[in-house]
Parts: sequence; C-alpha cells; structure tokens
Amino acid sequence: MKKGRARSVFIWVCVAPAVILFTVFMLIPTFNVFKMSLYKWGGYSNTKEFVGFNNFKILMEDMNFFRSFQNTILLIVCVTVVTMALSLIFAAILSREKIKGQNFYRIIFYIPNILSVVVISAIFSAIYDPNNGLLNSIIGIFRGKDETPILWLGDQKLVIYSLVIAMIWQAIGYYMVMYMASMASVPESLYESANLEGAGRIQQFFSITLPLIWTNVRTTLTFFVISSINLSFLFVKALTSGGPDGATEVFLSYMYKQAYTNSSYGYGMAIGVVVFLFSFGLSAIVNLATKRERLEF
Amino acid sequence: MKLKKVVSSITALTMTAALLAGCGGSTGNTEQTPTPAADNTAGQTEQEAPKQEETKADAETPAVEEQVLKVAAFEGGYGADMWSEVAAAFEASHPGVTVELTVDKKLEDVISPSMKAGDYPDVVHLATGREAALTETLTKENALLPLTDVLEMTVPGEDVKVKDKIVPGFLDTLATNPYGDGVTYYAPMFYSPCGLFYNAGLFKEKGWEVPTTWEEMWALGDTAAAEGIALFTYPTTGYFDAFTYATLSSAGGSDFFNKCMTYEDGIWESENATKVFELIAKLGEYTEATTVANANNDNFTKNQQLILDNKAIFCPNGTWLPGEMADAPREDGFEWGFMAIPAVNEGGAGCSFCWFEQMWIPAAAQNQDMAKEFVAYMYSDEAAQIFAKSAAIQPIAGVSDYLEGDNKLFYSIYDNGATAVMGGFAATAPVEGVNMLDTLCGTVNSIVSGDKTVAEWQAAVEEASDKLRAAME
Repeated sequence: MKKGRARSVFIWVCVAPAVILFTVFMLIPTFNVFKMSLYKWGGYSNTKEFVGFNNFKILMEDMNFFRSFQNTILLIVCVTVVTMALSLIFAAILSREKIKGQNFYRIIFYIPNILSVVVISAIFSAIYDPNNGLLNSIIGIFRGKDETPILWLGDQKLVIYSLVIAMIWQAIGYYMVMYMASMASVPESLYESANLEGAGRIQQFFSITLPLIWTNVRTTLTFFVISSINLSFLFVKALTSGGPDGATEVFLSYMYKQAYTNSSYGYGMAIGVVVFLFSFGLSAIVNLATKRERLEF
Repeated sequence: MKLKKVVSSITALTMTAALLAGCGGSTGNTEQTPTPAADNTAGQTEQEAPKQEETKADAETPAVEEQVLKVAAFEGGYGADMWSEVAAAFEASHPGVTVELTVDKKLEDVISPSMKAGDYPDVVHLATGREAALTETLTKENALLPLTDVLEMTVPGEDVKVKDKIVPGFLDTLATNPYGDGVTYYAPMFYSPCGLFYNAGLFKEKGWEVPTTWEEMWALGDTAAAEGIALFTYPTTGYFDAFTYATLSSAGGSDFFNKCMTYEDGIWESENATKVFELIAKLGEYTEATTVANANNDNFTKNQQLILDNKAIFCPNGTWLPGEMADAPREDGFEWGFMAIPAVNEGGAGCSFCWFEQMWIPAAAQNQDMAKEFVAYMYSDEAAQIFAKSAAIQPIAGVSDYLEGDNKLFYSIYDNGATAVMGGFAATAPVEGVNMLDTLCGTVNSIVSGDKTVAEWQAAVEEASDKLRAAME
C-alpha cells in the first residue's frame, strides 16, 4: 500500500515538468484564443468588451473571409494531391529501382526543405518575373516573344496556382524522404515472390508497397493539412502580401490582417478559432476516411 | 535502484522549480498576482512605487532628480544616428534626465510585447499607415495622451510657443487630430511631399513637355505608347492613398476631402468622387502591363525601376524614392523630376499630398511630463538642425532652407502653386472585417487588371464608409 503510494508520487513528480510545460504553453494559450474570440478588443488597452458570439456572426457575413477560406481549401487540396502523388512516385522509383546517383537525387529533392520560405519566395519571384523570369522565357520560346507576358503573380485567376507550384516544390522532398523510410522496411521477399508470380512494377506498387506503407501515408495526410495552412501564410506574406486585391489571401494572412492591421484582435481570434476547429475537423475526417485494416509484415 | 529513484525525483523537482521561477520572471510588473516565485515581481514593484512618486515630485520641481525617459523611434530612411544625436542633445540641455532610446526598423515588433505587458515607452515616434498599424490601434483604443498642452508649452531653450513654431495648416488635419474633434494627439514630425516622379532626362531627349493637365497627360500617354513607353506605373497599391487624397481634394476642395475622410453619407458616390474613381480607372488603362504582377512587397522595386529604364514615365511616390533607388542602374542622362498631381478640374490647382510622420505619447506612459518636454524640444532649432542634417524635415518654418540638391526641388513643390493636402481617414472604433485603405487602394490592382468595374469599386468603398461612419464617436 505504502509502496503503491510512493510509486504514484514518484510518477507524478516525474511527469510534472512536462505537464506544466504543456499547460503553460499549449492549454492556456489555446483556451485564451477561445476566450478572446468572444471579446471586442484592439489588443492593447484594458477596454475589453464582451460581445458573445458577435465576432462569429460578423465572420459569417464577411465575404473576404470566405475568399480566404476558399483559397486555403484549394491550396490544401491541390498541394496535398499533387505532392503526395509525386513524392510517392519518386520515393518508389528511388527505393525500388537501381538508378545511378540515387543519393544525389535524394539530396537534391530534399534541398528545398532546408531553405527558408523567404528564400524560396525570392527564388520564385525571380522565376515568375513577367519580363525576365525563367518561366516566361521558356514559354516565350514556344509562343513567340511578342506575346504579352503571362503575369504569374498579377493575374488573379493564376496567382493562387503560382503559390501551389511553389508550395509543392518546397514539400516534395520532405514527404519523399518519409515515404522512402517506410518503403525501406517492406521486406524484399514480398517483391521477390511477386516477381515470380509475374506481377509488374506498377502492380507491385499498388498491391505491395502502398498497402504496406499505408499507416505512414495516413500520418502524412494530417501533416499536409497542418503544413498547408501554416506554410501558405509564410508564402503569401513573402510572395504576394495577399494580393493582387486579396486574390491570395489565406486563413492566417487574413487573421493577421484583422488582428493587427485592422486593430480587431478579438475578431482575429475568432478566425483563429474557426481555423483551429477546421483543421482539427478536417484531420479527423481524413483520418476516418482513410482507415484500413492494418497490414502486418 | 532506490538511489536512482531519489536522483530522478530530485531532478524532476528541480526542473519544475526552474520552470516556475522562469514564469515568475516573465510576469514582469503584474502587481496583483502574488505567485509563489514572486521574489522577482515583488522586487520590481518596490522599485516602481518610488519611481511614480519621483514623477509626481518632478512635476513640482522639474528636471532636478535623476529620471529616465523611454523614447521609441521608428528608423526610417533617414537612419538611426540622428536619434542618438538628438537624445544626447536633450540630455545635455536637461540635466538629470537619461534618455533610454529604442530605434528600430520594425519598431512595432520591438515595443509591442512589453506594451502588452503594461510597460509603455514614454514617447513614441511612429507614423500611421504602417502594416502593423500600432499607432492606429492605440488611437482606436483611445490610448493616447492629448497634446493640447504641449502646443501651449514654450520650446525648451527658446521663447516661442510650440504651436507658433509649427507651419500653419499642419495642426488642423486628421493626421494630427485623428478623431476630428480639434484635439491634437499626434505631433507632426518629418514631412514629405508625395507626387509623381519621372525621368526629366527622357523629356529633354524626346522633346516632350511635362503635362500640366490630365488632357495633356492622356495625349502624352498616347504619344509615348507609340514608342513602347507606358505612361504610368506604381510601386504597390499602398501608394494610392496619397494619390487619391490629393485628387479628391483637387476635385472637390478641402471641405469635400474632409467629408470623405469622415465618411459622410453618400460622399463616395457623389459627382466629385466619381471623377476621381474614373480618373484612376483611365490611368489604369495607361499603366505598364507588368505593374500588377510586381505590386507586392517583394517586387515593388521592379516597378520603380521601370522609371529608371524609361519603360514607364510617371510613378507616384514620396521624396524617399531617389534614396531608395540610389544604387539602381539607370538609363544615360537620367535625371529625377518631380511634379504635383495635375488638377482634376479644368483650371484648378495641382495638388500634392503631404505625408508626415507622427510622434505621440501613450496614455499609459509613466513619465508624462518629461515626455511632453521631449515632444516640445523636437521643435527647437537645435533638434530641427540635427534632423535636417539627415534630410528629415520637420514642419517648422525655414527648415527646408537647409536642404540641398534634389531634395530642394522636391520640397519646393508647394512653392510652385500646388496645393498641399494633409490628413487621412478619421479614427473610428475598430470595425471587424472592414479596412478602408484596402478597399480604396487595394482594389486598384483589380481595376488595372480588369477584374472589377469602377461601379463595383465605388459601391464597395461607399459600403465600407457606411460601416465606419457608424463606428465613429
């Protein structure tokens, strides 16, 4: 009895630092975001006015918010689908095929990931430059130099896809390395027997590789949701500042604008709450939708 | 085994204690929270109490005891050195005062964390219209000190009142009296005329006349287009605030301009406002094709470069432009030219928006009396000369005489008949989701690219104006 109590005291003492850190840096701030979303507050003074759900009511009628919502969803979907497809293909090729300089490609693909987003933005603004940019110069070879340049960052219908391209370029290497790590643990014997039974490479990929790394793929889906929301803010901030005329405004950039530039901190926090619930909900849905029986090997 | 347990327990406890101590330190001066690890906090509170008494004592016998004045200043294009020089001069003329100076290009990021914790600077030099909008936020929250008595103060070391030293007109604007009620909250500091920059060399080379009316402007636009030169470009849509203010004032006079700035009902749909909207839309047709793609924080210098490369003729900007582009390559024979915006109405006067930075005292400042003294000192000849050395020109009569070269040309714009337009939108309580400058200026990108019509733009501005009017006190 006495020993049992001493044991639980010991356990409590050991987990205390982590629990305190978690409470101070995660629970309290999150709770505060929820609390602040119910106030009208500019961020500095002591005049906080409790307004209930008024901030959310305004949010439901704010067309600019819906535009940022649309843009964010578009980014999440496009970036996730394309990045996942490409990095799975590259991972499969690099881990299953015997290519010269495998490690070299691995490093090359991973480099964008260690660059800061600001650097990537600078690279892409050079690529997208309407007059001397890489992209327009290459396209110019085919469509003739006299055509009006394509405004990658100026055309409101195009600009969001310009962001998508930059984000995909940045993300591929990271996910490729993650998929390669789990592909490496798939036993070679499975492929050998598949070879004997006459399965082609594509069939092997879909029947052996993909099912066996499925747990890993599911985990990365949650990563995709979170990182698309977070990184899109950095890209927008550095590359387009939400422009032209709000065409690339995303969740967090709009939240930032409202909370700081527009002095509506409470409203910004209300957007924060929506983003929180949205990313939580989306991750849960994605997780449920991709649930499969776990395959052991 | 047992020893291991004891050691791990002690380690864990030490970590917890260290954590708590860390929290105690960061709580700063929240006097009402007696935490277990409050040794720190308590110490600070004790220190603070006598400081407050000290301030009171100072009010009776100024500048005798030691006191610290916390000054936070935005480091703009003029550099940071002039601030340390002014601070040193202030200390020299006010014995016992130590100026604690914070100068930074991102001043908001430096001072706002401690401000949120209740530790405010005594004097802040930070203009309105910046992205982080700290000045606006404090204004909207009624957290500024009225400067009415500063204007009545005598300039330290001189026998003139502050308000008599400031150039007339600078104190009657919404950029100094943000609530539109005649009470001054911002002291006008360095000003800069905004207008259209061009390559004077290009005009000489081609034998063109600098246009003085919009008719001549469009004619020039057509002539230049034939040679592959666009009439107009802009760095980012942010510069359309100055442009719109000037043209609004030129279209309807200063009363009309003030009505626009105070969101009068229907004013944005009036005939005069329509003229301005349509003028900008027409200018959009003459805008260089790639401008919109580069009109962001990363690439705006590419738009400014168009002027240096003779690819576009005019670019709206402030007097800091030549400094900003000083190292950029340029066409042979390039020479900066600067003019006011042509009159909107036939026969009217040209106009130029006069942009100026502001200095203010937070209502929560500890050392308010010395802060007021500091603001008054800014208008002394001594301070003005230090600032003028870095080409930072205050609205004090005669100060622009210190200027040389290009700067002389820029500041002489009002001597050549252009009307000075000053002010900006009146402060309101924050309205969620409504941003007037974004609606008014940001939309220009959509007008130029043809994504929105003038009617849609005008309706959106009027709608924003309606919402803001409701929030005015």
